[in-house]
Amino acid sequence: MIELIATAESVEQSKQLIDAGVDYVYVGEDEFGLRLPHSFSLEEIGQVVEIAHAANKKVIVAVNALFHNDRIEKLKDYLTELERLHVDAITTGDPGAVRILQKNEFNLDYIYDAQTLVTNSTQINFWGKRGAIAGVLARELTFEELQELAENVIIPVETLVYGATCIHQSKRKLVQNYFNYVDQEVPESMASRELFLSESNQENHYSIYEDMNGTHVFATDDVNLMTQLDKLVDLGLTQWKLDGIFSPGENFVAIVKLFDEARNHFQNGTWSEEVMHALNAKLHDLHPPHRSLDEGFFLKDPDSIESK
Amino acid sequence: MTKRVITKKPEVLSPAGTLEKLKMAIIYGADAVFIGGEAYGLRSRAGNFSYDEMREARAFADEYGAKIYVTANIVAHEGDTEGADEFFQTLKEIGIDAVIVSDPALIEICATAAPGLPIHLSTQASATNYETLNFWKDEGLERIVLAREVGMDEINEMQKHTDVEIEVFIHGAMCISYSGRCVLSNYMSDRDANRGGCSQSCRWKYDIFEMPEPGEKNSHLAGLSEEELEAFSMSSVDMAMIRHIPEIVESGVESLKIEGRMKSIHYVSTVSNVYRAAIDAYCADPDNYVFNQAWEDELWKVAQRELASGFYWGTPTENEQLFGKPRRIPRYQFVGQVLDYDEETQIATIQQRNNFGIGDDIEFYGPGFRHSYETVEQLWDEDGEEIDRARNAMMICKMKVNTPVQKYDMIRKQR
Repeated sequence: MIELIATAESVEQSKQLIDAGVDYVYVGEDEFGLRLPHSFSLEEIGQVVEIAHAANKKVIVAVNALFHNDRIEKLKDYLTELERLHVDAITTGDPGAVRILQKNEFNLDYIYDAQTLVTNSTQINFWGKRGAIAGVLARELTFEELQELAENVIIPVETLVYGATCIHQSKRKLVQNYFNYVDQEVPESMASRELFLSESNQENHYSIYEDMNGTHVFATDDVNLMTQLDKLVDLGLTQWKLDGIFSPGENFVAIVKLFDEARNHFQNGTWSEEVMHALNAKLHDLHPPHRSLDEGFFLKDPDSIESK
Repeated sequence: MTKRVITKKPEVLSPAGTLEKLKMAIIYGADAVFIGGEAYGLRSRAGNFSYDEMREARAFADEYGAKIYVTANIVAHEGDTEGADEFFQTLKEIGIDAVIVSDPALIEICATAAPGLPIHLSTQASATNYETLNFWKDEGLERIVLAREVGMDEINEMQKHTDVEIEVFIHGAMCISYSGRCVLSNYMSDRDANRGGCSQSCRWKYDIFEMPEPGEKNSHLAGLSEEELEAFSMSSVDMAMIRHIPEIVESGVESLKIEGRMKSIHYVSTVSNVYRAAIDAYCADPDNYVFNQAWEDELWKVAQRELASGFYWGTPTENEQLFGKPRRIPRYQFVGQVLDYDEETQIATIQQRNNFGIGDDIEFYGPGFRHSYETVEQLWDEDGEEIDRARNAMMICKMKVNTPVQKYDMIRKQR
């Protein structure tokens, strides 16, 4: 069964996303979760849960930050609150958070999400044996690698089918540091996440911004696997994640709807090249015009990535 | 009141890219060394050890009571772990003291295939809180190498909550990201940062801009005058904790790590020597300890970048990043190694490592932080023929010295 997981940027949008067909609304607060479209207060998370549960859908909360002592100390209280709000699951990649979950027997499932590190089935299964109900795949995996991985995993894994990819997280304030050095104010575009980097003389545009978790840099191309969904279905990779961090508002909801349509076609046996091209064309129209799309690492030859 | 002495000294852990570097690191004071095997490690371009070399290293380290750890800290992709069970079993048979691992897949394989072989969690896993340390302790790991983002207060707090062994970096180059959470290299140069291919893209120069319209760049570099022009970069200065030995030792961490399996024998011997001297001095008489400026001066002789204290005293600022023209660091060249010394004739037999000769001012240094300075006045080749310079790579030559030297002493000169 194909399931859609999508980030939300507001309580209101989470309702629209559910109407558009998502099975899991993904929200969170910056203090505990990474790179979210919006930092939700507990009150807002409670509202999202109410909306989702009324529609028989689920809510996942991001608890996937890198916790230092000060925040791990707050985590137990935060998880207590999430449990009280009947949140269905959290994502986390911090073994300390897993320990807290287990020690306190929280009624909260966890999805293993250590971002760039989640690259093989043995690792995912390690967490599966320690209670993880699912894993979130790193984006740096090729179709060829996924074929084997999908066969070997003992828990479901989420695959990003649409959205931006973080390729660097520093604890340092790299933007602030640079503008301090050149003796300028940090531009407002940093906070609104409209600042980019490019390698000298190249046409790349890596998004960069800072928040309380440090500095985040993103790949030039956002991922779009609309054209590869048949392969995912064949492999049984049917937990499709959509990340709207750089794709705001109604357009993101409309993009989610396209993947919902795609799902219906797969379930009705009506998926075709023609359908795929039509949905893909619509997706390109809805995607922010200054951001580019490609298949990420999906179509790369694993041997073209040097590991030595 | 009796004099306080610290008997449980932290371990000085040095990098060893090759067997020769391993020997010198140990001779120059390392209590332990970390090396790479032929697979599963992150420094695939560093010299890595075959099983036979590991056996030889084991025998050598045993003479000095030194420990050997093997890094197997890749973040594996499907298929990469093939053969890892045999690898860990062989390390155990050879008598390796521990493996340094970050991927839970390799942790599980090691624990299953080679039970009893101690496992250390690599800094690649970014362990930053005490619950994480206790998680891994409960999983049977012996030691955690902390993320380099952890500060001194945080280390002291961790010590109150855990008794798992803690290892911290005290010297060397640093990732500017959380280790393991950077794949710039994968995207910018098709090289996997977490499998030994890192191309250090963070140290490149970048434009920084907005895009008001698709394809249109509103560059912040455009507003800078020629003198001010400085590209965006994410390049960290290196770490040197030599000024903070008291705080580090008093924190009670078990092991102090020096980065640099890719670095030279000159670097490895020098840095090991300095930290050995400082830690011994502090532990022998902590209450009357005096920082010796010569230690820091010595570290500068092998420095590649500016030096700072990482995250120990707070989050680094622009001053701990490489912007502007690099400061001139005195450049020293490793020119030779003493193979033998004849006390009667005061003749040192030297293996040349870089061109040196008559008229050069050279510096000898040896284990125990010994130093002596000579001007080369006469030089002979292996056959006793007088020469003006030792020009040939690795040639054996002889010179008379005023201050006695010892086998394994090294020679450097300022460029």
